Amino acid sequence: MKQYFQLIKDPRFRLVQNDHRPFIDGPAPRRVRLNREGFAMVPGVKKKTLVSPGTLLAEHPSPDKGDLHSPIYGVITEINARSVFVDAMDPAEAEPGAFPPLPEPADLLRQGLEGEELVSAVKKLGVNTRSLGRRAKTLIVNALNPEPGVRWAEPMLVEHADEIRACLELQRRFRRADEILLAVPTGCSVRFSGIRAVEVEPVYPNSVNELLIKEVTGEEAPPDVAAVGLHNVWSLGRVALTGLPLTETVITIGTASNWANFVVKNGSLVGELLEFLHISLQNGDTILRGGPLRGESLDRLDRSITKGAYGFFVVNAGEVPPIEGDSACVNCGACIVACPTRIDPRMLSRYAEFGKYNMSRKENFRLCVDCGLCGYVCIARRPVLQYIRLAVKRLEEEERLAGLTPLEPVGKA
Amino acid sequence: MSQSNNDILLAISTPPFWHCGRTIRQNSLHTLLALAPAAALSLIQWGVPAARVMALSMVAAIVTEAVCQILMKQKLSQDNGTAAVTGLALAFLLPASAPWWLTLIAAVCAMGVGRMAFGGYGANQVNAALVGWALVFVSFPIPMDPNAAVLHTSLADPLFRAKFFGGAAAADFPLADLLLGRQLGGLGATQTGALFLGGLYLALRGVIRWEIPCAFLAGTFLVASAFHLADPELYAGPLFHIFSGSTVFAAFFLATEDSCCPHRRLPMTLYGLTGGALVMLIRVFGVYADGAPFAVMLINLLAPMFALIRSHPFGTGPRKAKRTSDNEGRARS
Ligand code: SF4
Ligand code: SF4
Repeated sequence: MKQYFQLIKDPRFRLVQNDHRPFIDGPAPRRVRLNREGFAMVPGVKKKTLVSPGTLLAEHPSPDKGDLHSPIYGVITEINARSVFVDAMDPAEAEPGAFPPLPEPADLLRQGLEGEELVSAVKKLGVNTRSLGRRAKTLIVNALNPEPGVRWAEPMLVEHADEIRACLELQRRFRRADEILLAVPTGCSVRFSGIRAVEVEPVYPNSVNELLIKEVTGEEAPPDVAAVGLHNVWSLGRVALTGLPLTETVITIGTASNWANFVVKNGSLVGELLEFLHISLQNGDTILRGGPLRGESLDRLDRSITKGAYGFFVVNAGEVPPIEGDSACVNCGACIVACPTRIDPRMLSRYAEFGKYNMSRKENFRLCVDCGLCGYVCIARRPVLQYIRLAVKRLEEEERLAGLTPLEPVGKA
Repeated sequence: MSQSNNDILLAISTPPFWHCGRTIRQNSLHTLLALAPAAALSLIQWGVPAARVMALSMVAAIVTEAVCQILMKQKLSQDNGTAAVTGLALAFLLPASAPWWLTLIAAVCAMGVGRMAFGGYGANQVNAALVGWALVFVSFPIPMDPNAAVLHTSLADPLFRAKFFGGAAAADFPLADLLLGRQLGGLGATQTGALFLGGLYLALRGVIRWEIPCAFLAGTFLVASAFHLADPELYAGPLFHIFSGSTVFAAFFLATEDSCCPHRRLPMTLYGLTGGALVMLIRVFGVYADGAPFAVMLINLLAPMFALIRSHPFGTGPRKAKRTSDNEGRARS
């Protein structure tokens, strides 16, 4: 009976499917497009440079953002402000020695590095350590599928247990947390030795880190608890096992009727993936990178699967009522009911709509955990989440600029 | 096959890309569906006059909305069905004997004053149908009174009887008769049985939130019981009050208009309880026999106050530990 009265009755919001499908290796890319925003290209890497899998292309100045490596044998065809393009080449066809040598595997588990040293070693192998959890007393590994539609978490716990074990070992050596917990879906029997497992009701939005922490600890926003997603755990574990730079990512590719889990090369073009899967699009379809609730829609087929992306979805035209940018809020309150953080997405979206960003401060805009439920339930099909993101971005920018000047009030003439 | 992928035009959208499928239009259609059984029973009972009032009210509401939208340079939105719902809801409150001009005035006022003056659907603070109803009810009491109108009917207005002949007169009205709409009053609002089922359907569908009708009926039940226990001779029982007049209609269809009610659970419950209680207070102490529409208008006006009751947003609640100062910083930021 309960489900009938609920606002959200989408069965897809259950984050376990009990349908284990093995991971499939993605197609060998003919071309990759790597995001280089914020990266500094390594000297000597330019157009026409030949690269091998694992060749370092660019470094990130931040100590907790992973460096960029080529995922394939190929030649760099273009470097612009945002992307590096590599066209695949067959190393057998080139003269020997033309390609740079493959990197030596670095056995992180054997080396025995710890703390910050380990963090920087991991960064050099392309792993973002920022998303591996900040310093906290307790670190929770979030083993729930991050979003509805994304389905690699369950099989990963079984099939990629080695990666997870390796990552957990490295996590311990990071010494960022005193205790590591594993949050698994209720009923899941997977356990790792030495790690306490906590069962969490696998229903979206429980898989959003902030809300997962609440489910596990029973407290909202406890100060000493951090969470890390299984996707990041896998990346670190992969690097720990292979000793090679991270050049792959796990994604679920889903359409209205089908889905499958893949391990694809970073930078794989979505057009090539669609071709590989024989998915043909129609005019007006939407393709998106990330998850169906929080992802971003792509405008062209030569966009690629970026490092942190955990999904790629096709939403056919007509599958959902079309979004109307300018439709006015009708005060239905659905977003208020749906919002798990009990803020008021209705007013927040209106403030942003009319440019009254300052008003958003009163409404705790910062508590938004970006779950997307407000937009999912809006009967007027307003881009509620987008409005809120806009406000957050504007205000953060404002605060950043304000931080550049002395905080004392300056006398106005 | 994949070649063609390169030529297609992709639609750019914003997250979330999935949607619950519920739209304004769908909600309106469900509401019309929920009202349909009551409308059908009313047609059986009153025949052509009822059909005339319902049709005129809906058409007038739709046309008024369109004209206002043209004048206000808004996008026409008659296809979302909200004007039709308001028109029908208004007709349900009018007597079947309502003359054409009365229906017309009520519908034009409902849409013009009740809704479009506030800016359109969802911007009004008070249920638009009720605004139209109240205007004609206060201005033209005689044609609005089904007891006074010449109707070829043997039916009686239960609330009128109860008010002026005492609670014992309620015994003339078996519950089954009330449920089947064998009572005098608004042409559709008195089909309490059919409306109850329709309302249940809407609540199950999630179009309306069940807390409001539940609390509303509970409020009526509690206060009516109190009066009834105090003096059963003078005051009719709670079930009589729930199923007579427009209490059920108000609870499920009027009080639940989204833009006029609070949305969080505790405020919704208080809002409903207050409304239900007010129905009884007006029926007992007021000059009007049926207090439900006025009760809804009153709680509509109180809704922003109820909405102020809210729990602390996520993680900003008071904490036992020494962290409180930290939290305040967060809450304010
Ligand atoms: S995305 Fe929307 S529903 Fe989710 S926390 Fe933010 S405001 Fe609330
Ligand atoms: S769900 Fe949409 S229409 Fe309803 S209150 Fe929120 S923003 Fe407004």
